[in-house]
Amino acid sequence: MDNQPVMLFRDVTKVYPLPAGDVRALDEISFQVDRGEFISIMGPSGSGKSTLLNLMGCLDTPTSGDIYISGTRIGDMSDTELTTLRRDRIGFIFQYFNLFPLLNIIENVTFPMMLKSQKEVNPERGKEVLRAVQLDDKLFTHTPTELSGGQQQRVAVARALINNPDILLCDEPTGNLDTKTGAGIMELMTDLNRKGTTVIVVTHDPTIAEYTNRTIRIVDGRIAL
Amino acid sequence: MSGIFWEIAKRNIRVHFLRSTLAMLGIVIGVVAIASMGILGNTLVATVSDSLSSVGDSVIVYPYSGGGGGFGGGGSSESLKITDQQLQQITRVVAPSTAIPVVSKSEHMKVGVGDEDIVATVYGVDPKYIKDLNFELASGSFNNANSGCLVGSEFAKDNNIKVGSRITMGSDGGKGSLRVSGIIKKRGMSFDISTDNAIVATQDWFENTYNRRDDYDEVVVKVRSGQDSAAVTTNIEKQLNRRDKVVSVMDSKATLASIYESFGMVTTFVTAIGGISMIVAGVSIFNIMMMSVNERIKEIGIMRSIGTQKKEVMSMFIYEAAIIGVIGSAVGGMLSIVAGYAISALMFQSTKYLLTVANAVSVGEGVGFGIVICIACGVYPAWQAANLNPIDALRHE
Repeated sequence: MDNQPVMLFRDVTKVYPLPAGDVRALDEISFQVDRGEFISIMGPSGSGKSTLLNLMGCLDTPTSGDIYISGTRIGDMSDTELTTLRRDRIGFIFQYFNLFPLLNIIENVTFPMMLKSQKEVNPERGKEVLRAVQLDDKLFTHTPTELSGGQQQRVAVARALINNPDILLCDEPTGNLDTKTGAGIMELMTDLNRKGTTVIVVTHDPTIAEYTNRTIRIVDGRIAL
Repeated sequence: MSGIFWEIAKRNIRVHFLRSTLAMLGIVIGVVAIASMGILGNTLVATVSDSLSSVGDSVIVYPYSGGGGGFGGGGSSESLKITDQQLQQITRVVAPSTAIPVVSKSEHMKVGVGDEDIVATVYGVDPKYIKDLNFELASGSFNNANSGCLVGSEFAKDNNIKVGSRITMGSDGGKGSLRVSGIIKKRGMSFDISTDNAIVATQDWFENTYNRRDDYDEVVVKVRSGQDSAAVTTNIEKQLNRRDKVVSVMDSKATLASIYESFGMVTTFVTAIGGISMIVAGVSIFNIMMMSVNERIKEIGIMRSIGTQKKEVMSMFIYEAAIIGVIGSAVGGMLSIVAGYAISALMFQSTKYLLTVANAVSVGEGVGFGIVICIACGVYPAWQAANLNPIDALRHE
């Protein structure tokens, strides 16, 4: 089980049917991500990065080919099953933090945990994860808008980690932060990876890619060798 | 688990307080319109019912006046009477119920030493039937003597008549005088004998004074409990109208049922008009819920991407609509009672019919309809939110 890749793409193609003609966003790409890897996915605008991110995050299904997340094939899954898979196996980190403005920091972090347990949860677990991402205790009851960008992204990382996902999927995690704060977030990712978390970062910033162990380059919907 | 979505729904209402309050106001108006219209109709029915309930057990027999002359082989309506023979037939077919012969006439009179000429109806009823007619006295006692009479409460009030007052009958006083022995409580509208503005003398006095013997203006049948008034009506018609139609028979119970049915229709109609305002409120709720969904598309996308199921997203918006509906309807329900009180006090000069089961049902219907409308109007926006494509929702700015 441990030798099984956390993510496996096999001949995956994604075609968007449009009135002006089909757009082949991904063209028979194959790769795998092993447990504990720290990978960056890079490519120019329009290369298929976003499509790949949606497929990796189980937000979309391929036109052809197979995708396996921790050994589970997602192609035939229902919406409910895909949602459950996202909840239990994948942690999302977005460029714009995307915290819930109506919830405080603790509630934001424990939200996926409540989705999973289907009941009220002990906020101590949330506090524990927030401390792990080096957020000050006195900010725990604040609302997201009262925090700086870097602090908000740390909360987003904590939220992504709360259910112990197999993969941490990051979409331009430093894109909305200044260089210094961005570096702080990438050091946090590196630290998490050292502790065993599999991290995939989608970025167009080469300095971010330098933090990772492997880079997959996408050009015109294919993996560039 | 529903706790967090319930909490988000509550907080969203709080954040958009003014918008939510306006939506609630629409529901409040809708509930008040429906419930107060219901209360108005119920109070109307209760008021009329109260006036008519004392005659609910009567069958009234009149001489037939249609068809070119009717009983008696033609002649004027003055000659249309119920004969003693017909009375005997009626008495026989309605037994063990009581058949009460009644004579009446419009008469000029003066009260006490005053010279004001008053015109009122004078009834002649055998004293032995007075209690069967369910008269209740406001003061005095029932009259047994030929020189005495009972008067209606309105008549007594308008003419300052008290027990012991003397009424001189006839425009010239030629019909003798009657001493008031009792004042009958207000009975309201009646099918049999309308006493409120009348005098009730003995049948003997009436016959002697007006030289009327062996014929009657109407026969009031007081149906015994256990007997069916419809069957009594049918029996009278079968017996007396066997060959020709000589009498008209009115079942007051059936007439009352018909009146109640008409009032019920009026109540339904005015309540339906009130329902229009609820529909308008529902459209407002729908609009606000659609706005709420549109404003939170990105938030919905984030929720879906981190593992929130469609039904959970849907529940969040349904909760929001339900909170608006429950609060709006509850406030509307309370204001309906206030509105009902005002309607009763202003239109009927009495609030005694306010706290009735029928009015509680009307308020309950208004509140229930308000909640149902709110939730129903929240379903489509909630469904739309739940079925947003997570990728498109995440891209939404």
